[in-house]
Amino acid sequence: MSLASTPAHIRIDKLTFDYGGERPAVDTLSFDIAKGEFIGLLGPSGCGKSTTLRMFAGLLAPTSGKIIMGGEDIVSRPPWERNLGLVFQSYALFPHMTVAQNVAFGLRLRKVGKEESAARVAEALRAVRLEGFGNRRPAELSGGQQQRVAIARAIVIEPEILLLDEPLSNLDARLRDEMRFEIRDIQSRTGITTLFVTHDQQEALTMCDRIAVMNGGKLEQIGTPVEIYDKPATPFVAGFIGRANSVPATLRLGPGAPRLEHEGQALPAPDLQELPSDAADGAKLAAMVRPHAIQLSRQDGDGLTARVNRSVFVGSVIEVELELAGGHKLVAELRPGSAEAQLAQPGADVALTWRTTDMRIFAA
Amino acid sequence: MTKFLSFISRAYVTLVFCIVFMPMAIILVISFSADSYLSFPPSGWSLKWYGTVLGNTSFMQGFRNSAIIAVIVAALSLALGLPAAYALVRLDFPGRALIRSLVIAPLVLPAMMLGLGILMVFTPAGLVATYPGLVLAHLVMTLPFSIRILQTSLSNLGTDVDEAAMTLGARPLQVFMQITLPRLTPGVIASSAIALILSFDEIVLSLFIVGPRLQTLPVALYRYVDERTDPMVAVLAVLMIALSLAIVLVVERSVGFAKAFGR
Ligand SMILES: Nc1ncnc2c1ncn2[C@@H]1O[C@H](COP(=O)(O)OP(=O)(O)O)[C@@H](O)[C@H]1O
Ligand SMILES: [Mg+2]
Repeated sequence: MSLASTPAHIRIDKLTFDYGGERPAVDTLSFDIAKGEFIGLLGPSGCGKSTTLRMFAGLLAPTSGKIIMGGEDIVSRPPWERNLGLVFQSYALFPHMTVAQNVAFGLRLRKVGKEESAARVAEALRAVRLEGFGNRRPAELSGGQQQRVAIARAIVIEPEILLLDEPLSNLDARLRDEMRFEIRDIQSRTGITTLFVTHDQQEALTMCDRIAVMNGGKLEQIGTPVEIYDKPATPFVAGFIGRANSVPATLRLGPGAPRLEHEGQALPAPDLQELPSDAADGAKLAAMVRPHAIQLSRQDGDGLTARVNRSVFVGSVIEVELELAGGHKLVAELRPGSAEAQLAQPGADVALTWRTTDMRIFAA
Repeated sequence: MTKFLSFISRAYVTLVFCIVFMPMAIILVISFSADSYLSFPPSGWSLKWYGTVLGNTSFMQGFRNSAIIAVIVAALSLALGLPAAYALVRLDFPGRALIRSLVIAPLVLPAMMLGLGILMVFTPAGLVATYPGLVLAHLVMTLPFSIRILQTSLSNLGTDVDEAAMTLGARPLQVFMQITLPRLTPGVIASSAIALILSFDEIVLSLFIVGPRLQTLPVALYRYVDERTDPMVAVLAVLMIALSLAIVLVVERSVGFAKAFGR
């Protein structure tokens, strides 16, 4: 594992920040960012996302750890020497300047000539679809437009990386959907490496090349949206990304293949590679399965027996609440009009199965 | 019931306004009196007392002194108050909380005590009845106000915008001059206006350290009232109120008081 074999554009190495609370706000965080990548930093509010961005930008000095950019640790560099584009949640536009002056600010400090500056400002405003808005004041723009000015101001200096702190959270629902595509579009046209911070898993899944999931200051998992969704590495990721059912299960090693049991009933056969290597006979585990992976059938063979508590039509799917023999509850999503959906009458007794590949197993 | 309450509250507001504005209204009326003593209502009308005031050397000297001192005090309040406010809001240093509360101490101390203290320090220093002495004494009054107003404006600005400028390549001094200061304009105007008015109207501290050669307008007026009472006093009061009002209006027109005080 040499540095040369993985030409990471930017590498975060054991980054830690301690405000002096119970535990560090960011705790030995490490991951790589490739050039041109659109990477998401996803986690619940308070998990340390903004703190990470502020360390990136040089607005906070890490307690320990490195941020390596262009082969050099930038931690000791002041913010004005880092060449990063940071877009704040509040946009942080300069209210006393016009849109064009806002965008030109970074260029002016870099002593870029008047003509070149004007051309680059125009180009940046075109990239965010704000041609013709150069002479307006920020106060005369809508939230979405201000957002785009902030992005233009950050990308015009051709930063090593564009850092976006929850850029969509202040917008109303319709604009949010629009800006989602807009931001992704701007990024693919400019090719700027982007770190996109969000607490919204939907945003992360739909926009990012890769997602780093954070919880309590620590990195839980990093991977493509599909990997994160299909193969969550921890129970936290399983529960945070999409919906997941967790079924308490006991490991039975006995003769033959290992089995999982819930209240004496067999779960679908586990993938042996999924089982914790140190798990002994009788170990308490948790089996994770997505609502859409659960299959319903009549109680005439394999499967966990369950009773249908409730069945709610929510448009594209029918949400069914199921109660297992021991009282544990699960949610399944069925296709409206399918044979399964016919079975899901409140009060009906059914059998539940799912495919081995749809089940993840964690230590309970 | 609600009708009655609304009547009561309207009556109450009217009463308060009367109490506040009645003296001013009476003074305004008397300033146009033709009598040679203070009486209300006047038995005749004239502008002669306005002429007398403008021809009175003691008053005109006092006005000139007060104006010069007020302008210098306002400028110094800003020059000294802005860095202090910046340090108290943006910088972290030991004892910051203590200094924050001590800054307003001159506002809660009785002015008499302050005046006495100032006199005891200024006499040996040779500052009594000098411009620098009066300016310094007034600064004791105005600086806490300036610092407080600028402190509020500064903390209301937040740090995001300044930090954004920093990430775009601006060094701290560039950030301050190009981003923080322009955004602080309302606070700067408000604190300067307050310092100007406070200094121009200041009397208690001034009484301790003026001398025969250097008097301020409020002191001249006070001394005059001690000996005689004629409508000239009313004219001076009207002129001083008009001046303060003019400054307030300028602030209101240029930035708005609500904004100037960061609300
Ligand atoms: N200035 C601060 N002083 C003390 N604790 C802070 C400060 N800022 C953030 N924290 C704490 O650090 C943790 C991470 O905060 P933050 O990075 O803002 O989270 P996020 O952006 O993911 O919501 C939180 O628990 C928060 O309470
Ligand atoms: Mg945050």
